Amino acid sequence: MKTFKIGGIHPPERKLTESSAIEVMPVPAELVISMNQHLGKPAKPLVKMGEQVKKGQLIGEADGFISANVHASTSGKVKGVKPHPHPGGQYAMAVFITPDGKDEWAEGLDTEPADWRSFSQEEIIAKVKDAGIVGMGGAGFPTNVKLSPPPDKSIDTIILNGAECEPFLTADHRLMVESPAKVVAGLEIISSLFKGEAKAWIGIESNKQDAIDALKKHASPKGIEVVSLKTKYPQGAEKQLINAITGRTIGQGELPFDKGCLVQNIGTAVAVYEAVCLNRPLIERVVTVSGMEISSRKNVLARIGTSFKDIAGFCGDISEKTNQVICGGPMMGKALFTLDAPVVKTTSGLLFINNSAVEKSRERTCIRCGKCVDVCPQSLEPWLLANTAQLRKFDEILDLGLMNCTECGSCTFVCPSKRELVHWIKYAKVLVNNRQKRKSA
Amino acid sequence: MESVKLKVSYAPFVRSSDSIESVMYNVALALAPATVMSVYLFGMYALVLNVVAILSCIGFEWLMDKARKKPASCLDGSALVTGLLLALNVPANLPLWMIVVGSFIAIAATKHVFGGLGYNIFNPALVARVFLLISFPAAMTSWPVPAPFSLGLNVDMQTAASPLGILKTDGLEALGSFTLMDGFYGTMNGSLGETSAIALLAGAAWLLYKRYITLTIPLTLIGSVFLFTGIFFLIDPGTYASPLFHMVTGGLIIGAFFMATDMVTSPISMRGQLIFGLGCGLLTAIIRLWGGYPEGVSFAILIMNGFVPLLDRWDQNDQKAKYQKKSEKA
Amino acid sequence: MIISEAFIPAVTSLGAVALALGVIIHYVSKKFHVEEDPTVMLVNEILPGVNCGACGYPSCGQFAEVLVETRDSSMSCPVGGSDLAAKLGKTLGITMAEPKPQIAVVLCQGNNDNARQTAEYLGIQDCWAATQAFAGPKHCRYSCLGLGSCIAFCDFDAMRLENGLIVIDKDLCTGCEACISACPTGVLVMQEKKAERYVIACNSHDKGGPTKKACDAGCIACQKCVKVCEDDAIVIDNFLAQIIQEKCTSCGKCIEVCPAKVNCIRLEHDLEEVKQKNAS
Repeated sequence: MKTFKIGGIHPPERKLTESSAIEVMPVPAELVISMNQHLGKPAKPLVKMGEQVKKGQLIGEADGFISANVHASTSGKVKGVKPHPHPGGQYAMAVFITPDGKDEWAEGLDTEPADWRSFSQEEIIAKVKDAGIVGMGGAGFPTNVKLSPPPDKSIDTIILNGAECEPFLTADHRLMVESPAKVVAGLEIISSLFKGEAKAWIGIESNKQDAIDALKKHASPKGIEVVSLKTKYPQGAEKQLINAITGRTIGQGELPFDKGCLVQNIGTAVAVYEAVCLNRPLIERVVTVSGMEISSRKNVLARIGTSFKDIAGFCGDISEKTNQVICGGPMMGKALFTLDAPVVKTTSGLLFINNSAVEKSRERTCIRCGKCVDVCPQSLEPWLLANTAQLRKFDEILDLGLMNCTECGSCTFVCPSKRELVHWIKYAKVLVNNRQKRKSA
Repeated sequence: MESVKLKVSYAPFVRSSDSIESVMYNVALALAPATVMSVYLFGMYALVLNVVAILSCIGFEWLMDKARKKPASCLDGSALVTGLLLALNVPANLPLWMIVVGSFIAIAATKHVFGGLGYNIFNPALVARVFLLISFPAAMTSWPVPAPFSLGLNVDMQTAASPLGILKTDGLEALGSFTLMDGFYGTMNGSLGETSAIALLAGAAWLLYKRYITLTIPLTLIGSVFLFTGIFFLIDPGTYASPLFHMVTGGLIIGAFFMATDMVTSPISMRGQLIFGLGCGLLTAIIRLWGGYPEGVSFAILIMNGFVPLLDRWDQNDQKAKYQKKSEKA
Repeated sequence: MIISEAFIPAVTSLGAVALALGVIIHYVSKKFHVEEDPTVMLVNEILPGVNCGACGYPSCGQFAEVLVETRDSSMSCPVGGSDLAAKLGKTLGITMAEPKPQIAVVLCQGNNDNARQTAEYLGIQDCWAATQAFAGPKHCRYSCLGLGSCIAFCDFDAMRLENGLIVIDKDLCTGCEACISACPTGVLVMQEKKAERYVIACNSHDKGGPTKKACDAGCIACQKCVKVCEDDAIVIDNFLAQIIQEKCTSCGKCIEVCPAKVNCIRLEHDLEEVKQKNAS
């Protein structure tokens, strides 16, 4: 079975929700739609307090090349535009909408299914851009930008990322099982942008056999190859997935298209299909609600802007023992400081956990066991990076490959001394960037 | 739900169950067969030695933490392992005060002066053993003859030289009735824990299974001793002992699996570990064949411990070369 | 007899070694002699020698070189103050401009009593590390995060953490600005030292409601101080009052009208004479 060559770990999978069908969550009493749901500049809010909006109406306009549109996820009245906690941990401008209960689509949206073959490449990319589609795996890179690589780069490999290697998360898994046709259609649309010259793959970890079977049935007749991958974290990271499927290595400072590759998330492929064929902007996504401390664990189809408090209410009781609520997966997610934060386009999961490690965590000294070096998928020396960061040797740390770290967290996971290796590396990255900014200023 | 108090930390939020404690206690567990074997072979006094060594190591660890105003680390298991290893590396009739002195050297003078666990350059138990060997050569080289099931606290056991000692002073013929099986089971003269190869190998298998050690260092170390002594055995079987004799005698097995693999004092990368194991093996063989001491494992490992920072620096420079070149190109 | 046997070889051999080394040292010092401007050395000796960078040069040595070369009287060492400026002027024979001593000011009173907490932070205890995990352990995102990243940047030991808030020791702070860029939320600013200085110790640009919810000492932009000020020295910028120090006459009226639970206007005495006078 294929997998990436260097490093990797196998954390407990805990896919508790892998067989629960996606449930549609009703529109809550209030929606908070963040203007910062993607990489790059936040969108510019287009609406004011008191305005009526329709479902799918553009309420935030992409500000610049790397930015994305934001749409109202139901019809209703704008209650205000003000900063609000973002699931990423910071504050971001957000549009508050009080739904009117009619859930009316704006004009020209949600049309009868059209054949994507009738659209030109430019039309497809324009539709993806208008629909505000971003990478739904976590980084939130605007998809239209990713789909238009520089003309001198030729793409020969398109990979759909169904690895979902994070523990707990099953959002992509359920999408693959329940709507394989949409996934495949989305992939076909993406492939058509590269004149059909590129070979399309779907990479799925072997712990999702039902998804592999479902997709094989739909994909094989279209010449798309479904690859079963050995379950290993971080297989879902772009660089590792490319390495696992094609054997190519993305080096320092290189992007996937430098090696002829393009990777898209399962959710993104479905969003692309819906945007191109059904004229639906990205206003809802599947969120895995899981963790040991919530009574009923579900895969929920929630509107963008639904607050985590409402989602928790929809899924049942939270036990008293909860001490952390994680947005995203437990390896690369963020711990929330408030449940007021809303679902954004990149929210793949919401986990209610009792992290006993965080209570008694005390960083101990490195005992030089070398486990972090063994598991690092980027062949770095995490212990050395962390030590150098602690000593604030920011000139030296760049030479140790600081910027090559993908922050997958494997090193921190295995460290017997419970050192916050990734956090130190992230700290160094921030301070190095600050210094460079100050120098250039 | 309102009563839930959220705590924020940085990803990842799941951690492996490994900890310093689990590593150390598993090493201690892996040493258990050898410890039991030592009590079986040398009597209850061996148990007393073990207990005194462990308690004094933990005591000195506690004192040093207090003196250095550091959080208490005396129960993290590292002092336990040091004490156990030290006791297993001394003869079964060593006076108790000597083992306490050894514990002090191991914990205070080898570990804490460099900054405590993780910062020591040399293996604490080995430094203590070598310190005792040089300071009290008579007490450290009068090996009691094993007397299985002698449960008394009998310190005045019959003593004799170890097989390696006999080989060094009296030559190959003097070894007489010694068979390889004696070394394998442990019914030979030697330190408490080093005599029984089978008990040590059982412990090592546990550590390998739990993946706390890898085979790189033990295999290269034992392999290079085997090769080196084998070459000389082939040249002159009349003077040199067979490589198999060198495998089972002295502290080779305990050294290769438990001392050289100490995480703190061994290199991190595979390449470093290969060179480290090779160096340990060659030095051991050289000392055993031509050195002034009959046994060379402790010295060999300590000498190679000194090279570890250099070996690590080599990897770091490689890393730097790799990324500097890349960033210049970019 | 014994003495001479023991001593003569020792003394002669050591003496020979000493002689040889002395000759080598002498030769090397002549051969590799570096001509140094005596004025630069004099200036360098006057300077504090802490290389803090407050003057805009990376080290005291470089400051001295540039000063001697250009004889620019507007150059100043903020750390040394007017005494040092006078000494420098004397050495160089010019009149140095009077330096304006500065002091670092914490625009926040959100200590553990005044500011509400959001969640307990258990990651690396450093402000920059904390901002990577979330907006900060305090409800107010403009506040001093209370993890003390700036302390390590202070060469003069003038900063300490007290009840979750950075406190600056006025006697030790030299105004070198090293801490300013070390703060992720920007609550540290430099102000000119004054006998009586009024500061609005708040950094929150939130509207009144959220500010009040987050902190007892927050400026809610109520305009009261603006109205009472007779010198037009207080302005409100983006929901935060600010005192323009040049216009402020230290009348103290504003401090009486502030409605916040913990007065967000603070009176600071920067100069030691004033402090001593008040003490006696």
